[in-house]
Amino acid sequence: MFEFIESCLLWIVLLPLAGAAINGLLGRDAERPLVHGVAIGSVAGSFILAVLCFIEIFVARGAGVENPTITYDVYEWFNLSVGPFRGSEITVPLSLTFTMDSLSAVMTLVVTGIGLLIHIYSTGYMDTEKSFARFFCYLNLFMASMLILVLGSSLPVMFVGWEGVGLCSYLLIGFWYENPSYAAAGKKAFIANRVGDFGVLIGMFLLLLITHSLEFSEINAIAAEGLSGFRSFDGQFVYLFGAELEISSVVTMACLFLFLGCCGKSAQIPLYVWLPDAMAGPTPVSALIHAATMVTAGVYLCCRLSNLFVLSPTAMSVIAVIGTLTALLAATIAVVQNEMKKILAYSTVSQLGFMFAAVGVGAFAAGFFHVFTHAFFKACLFLGAGAVMHAVGAHGDADIRKLGGLKKLLPKTHWTFLISCLAIAGFPLTSGFFSKDEILLGATSVAYGDGAFLEPWVGQFVFVGLFLAATMTAFYMFRLYFLTFTGEYRSAGGDDHGHDDHGDDSHGYAAHPHANGANITVPLAVLAVGALLVGFLGLPHLVPFVGAHLPNWWSGWMHASMAHPVPHDNMTAVNVAALGGIAAMAIGIGVAYLKYNNQSEDTFTTKIPAPIHSFLFDKWRVDEFYGMVILGPIRWLSEFSARFDAIVVDGGLTKVTPFVVRSFGWIISRMQTGVVYAYGTMMCAGLALGVWWFLYPHPSFQAEVNGASATLTADVGFGYEYRWDFDHESDPEFDTDWSSRPSVEHRFETSQFVAFGVNAQLNDGAFDTHRVDDDNFTVPDDYLPPGWSGEGELSGTPPVFMVGAGGELMLRPNGARSIAIRGQAPVVGDEVVVLPGQVVQIRGEENGVELTRDLTISAYVYATLAVRNAFGNQAKTCEEIEVIPAAAGAQAMVLGRTQR
Amino acid sequence: MDIGLGEYIALATVLFGIGALGFLTRRNLLIQLMSIELMLNAVNVALVAFNRWQPGSFDNLNHTGQTFAFFVIAVAAAEAAVGLAIVISLFRLKRSVETDQANQLKH
Amino acid sequence: MSFAGELLFTLSAVVAIAFAVGTIMAKKPLRAALCLLAHIIALVGVFLSLQAHMLAAIQLLVYAGAVVVLFVFVIMLIGPDAETSGSEKGKATRGIAAALMGAITLAITFVVLDHNPPMGLVRGCEPGTDCASFGSVEALGKTIYIGGMVPFELVSITLLVAIIGALAMARGRTPAEAQAALGNTASTEADAAPAAGE
Repeated sequence: MFEFIESCLLWIVLLPLAGAAINGLLGRDAERPLVHGVAIGSVAGSFILAVLCFIEIFVARGAGVENPTITYDVYEWFNLSVGPFRGSEITVPLSLTFTMDSLSAVMTLVVTGIGLLIHIYSTGYMDTEKSFARFFCYLNLFMASMLILVLGSSLPVMFVGWEGVGLCSYLLIGFWYENPSYAAAGKKAFIANRVGDFGVLIGMFLLLLITHSLEFSEINAIAAEGLSGFRSFDGQFVYLFGAELEISSVVTMACLFLFLGCCGKSAQIPLYVWLPDAMAGPTPVSALIHAATMVTAGVYLCCRLSNLFVLSPTAMSVIAVIGTLTALLAATIAVVQNEMKKILAYSTVSQLGFMFAAVGVGAFAAGFFHVFTHAFFKACLFLGAGAVMHAVGAHGDADIRKLGGLKKLLPKTHWTFLISCLAIAGFPLTSGFFSKDEILLGATSVAYGDGAFLEPWVGQFVFVGLFLAATMTAFYMFRLYFLTFTGEYRSAGGDDHGHDDHGDDSHGYAAHPHANGANITVPLAVLAVGALLVGFLGLPHLVPFVGAHLPNWWSGWMHASMAHPVPHDNMTAVNVAALGGIAAMAIGIGVAYLKYNNQSEDTFTTKIPAPIHSFLFDKWRVDEFYGMVILGPIRWLSEFSARFDAIVVDGGLTKVTPFVVRSFGWIISRMQTGVVYAYGTMMCAGLALGVWWFLYPHPSFQAEVNGASATLTADVGFGYEYRWDFDHESDPEFDTDWSSRPSVEHRFETSQFVAFGVNAQLNDGAFDTHRVDDDNFTVPDDYLPPGWSGEGELSGTPPVFMVGAGGELMLRPNGARSIAIRGQAPVVGDEVVVLPGQVVQIRGEENGVELTRDLTISAYVYATLAVRNAFGNQAKTCEEIEVIPAAAGAQAMVLGRTQR
Repeated sequence: MDIGLGEYIALATVLFGIGALGFLTRRNLLIQLMSIELMLNAVNVALVAFNRWQPGSFDNLNHTGQTFAFFVIAVAAAEAAVGLAIVISLFRLKRSVETDQANQLKH
Repeated sequence: MSFAGELLFTLSAVVAIAFAVGTIMAKKPLRAALCLLAHIIALVGVFLSLQAHMLAAIQLLVYAGAVVVLFVFVIMLIGPDAETSGSEKGKATRGIAAALMGAITLAITFVVLDHNPPMGLVRGCEPGTDCASFGSVEALGKTIYIGGMVPFELVSITLLVAIIGALAMARGRTPAEAQAALGNTASTEADAAPAAGE
């Protein structure tokens, strides 16, 4: 039904990608309006297509389709083969497919819409930047990656976008790379993200083990059936690195690893440290990436796989707790910061904590609703901060202690900023109010025991934590607002620097801030309107204290694509949540108003005791902690390796080798004495060697055994004659005559055997031989199969080979359960004669399977070679050879050898 | 007692050994040259002896060994001339015929 | 072999060995040269016992008549400095070389004497038969000039080259050349040049 629309999905991704390519390759020398046009045009095109797709889905929902999804298969990527485990192996096909369902439809609209606004804003904000083409190229590339992330239909495709946004974040944070601290901030972001990406990969691999697929639709379908829906190679359990795990454990581990990825991307504890530093990038970047879109990718992932996450209460509790802690931590830090973008950055971290806390208590729709509203008001806040900075000529960040009274100087910016502050604080009827209320309701519902699979303490912890965080949020946001916009402009006494290049704290900003142009104020206005109105899409189901039902378009829209494990029907919970939200907002705004309205300096937070203040101001010293615990040892290891390489490896190669060569040279050069007799002596030595070689023969030979006969080949020499003897011990007379043919073939008879050999293949696959002579040979454990021992008084005693009085080889079975000579009945009784060439089979058993170990009996013989050279000198050599005759007849054969 | 090929070869070996010993042991270049002549003579003895005992040399008048010895004598004469010229040159350079003095190629 | 031949061989062998030892052990080079002469004459006896008549004559003519004379001339030219005094340097190395050489010689000698090939292959020669001319001038001459003509001519060229080489090396330098080339040893060269002669 969606054939025409389906290809639009591909174009939604391709248009920004094309824009990035054009601007990146050709934009450097192009005119500014052209670059702007390409950048804005591509994103506008994506936005229009996204709206079209949204309308299609909207209409389909109206027509009654349960979960309308647009899917577009671009091509088949590759096949992943998993296994073999227990002998079975599966092939998972991965293809590049884009899907849009109700969840990703909204997300796409947010990404493209707010992206479009920020692109327009950037044309004004970056009007003096000379590398603007590079900027817009990166921005478009970011859009393309984010859209791949959102529209990807499987984890690998999403991961491509995931990595892409990480890359673009690095490129954009470090946009002004000439400044080393900005470049370092970019690196920090990338590395922290990378740690998270490791988590996503491990999560993917674990999921692959139990779902045999990485498509979101399939994973959600399997997870919807509960734990029994998972497929594993081994039935109930999964075997991983030798450990036996239940499926629920693997699900929990997968969820936790995926959440680690979310921590990296969405700046939760412990990987949030990159986000405050990311303010080094231009303000539009902060607005787009670090407020509205990239950092919400983590929440998007959790909502995408919501069916999976609800199967693991442990993971959900962990997510909830970490989200709450992050919200609290960031809020406490934001309270004492003095720079606009830093406060907004910590506020973002805190709000992300809210979202994850919502996800953790099972309120997926609420969490995502907060993503939606947060995008509007946070982007508006960042853009507003950018407008302020652009107006006063601050570069990098604006210190609020030097601002003030801007509501008269920048009226439009002031109003939009105020609206957004009200939204983030949760002022009634703003968007933030509704979304925050939903989150608190999710927490209280669990706290009152409605969350069947989550413990109530989780909900209680989340509620208390979020309440405190919300209070602090309202407080510091309005501290920011009042100190910036009310009172008198505190930098009025400074010079009119305009756009200052060195924005350090020593002197203030421009004395006469100029108003901003339309391409800055229009996006601000649009976002502010959104911040006011979009909240009505998600009216609460139950009105607190009244109990009336209101239509909630949002949860209806999201119903099919996310899980709703916890019902939000409890009136008590609703009331407590509403009260908490309003109380937090009131306290926060009230305190801020009393302390900061029209004030000219910050007298409240400076009253916090100095140790606590500096601790909070230093961001709880987490960066220093990481530096000590992680970076320090790594740096030590790097330096150690570098020194090791320089001294040991390089020194070894460049010093040891020449030293060896030189010392050899020194030794040999001692021989060049220059006197003739020395050289003559050396010649004599060589001559003596040659004479010795030719005067006396040197016998040696090789044997090629074939059954009971062997082909013996002697090494040839000049003028040699050979003769052979095969029973030299007993009969010194040589068996053959002198002949100049070096090889001879001989079939060994039993009278020529001197010893027996027992050959076996060991348990690890290697072959081993043992020579049995006069002594008894107890079969060692390697030769025996598992489970060889039978019962009875001799059980555990291995069989023994021995040489009997008459010279024959005997076998005593001892404790062996079942031992036989191949082709004959099993041995019972004490001893049996074994002949060379026969195979003794010992049977054992393991896990019900019968195993047999073969011991081949061979014989050892002597072969003697005598050599005579042209001078008539003789020499001889003797070697022992092992032969394996064909199975001998019934008559017992005896060793043909003399007593030793 | 029967004198056979072995005795002649033994003689040749002994003479060769004496010549080699003289060459290696003496320091006087002239004596060394004379030792070389001894060695060459020993080789001649061996060649002629083999020629005499080669089967068929009497009937076919095969004189290969003696021809070889003839050429050895000629070449030995030439070599002696050149060697003595070297002695003169060494004497001119070092005022002595000790071979130890000719050690400029020493390391 | 006939009794006379055996006697000739034995005597000649003993004399040859004795004078060879004398050559290498003589202190004065002139004595060594005379021992060499006697050794060569002894070898003539050995050749005669092997029925190599022509070769014996050539040995006498060339070796005893030319080579030894050449040695004596050079000893005379060099004068009293031809003797060398005993020096202690390198005695150990020389000892090793001597020992090795002695061992080799003894080893080969004993091996050869032990494994004497059978005598049945060789017979004597009656006078008057064809084989009487074995080792005679005509027979050897035929072999050399018919079979070995090219080597013969080449040997004559070798001798020519040896003459030229010896001349070039022993000529020495005129005083002018010496001063031009060496400078610091000019006086020594100037003394030696007239003494050595042309």
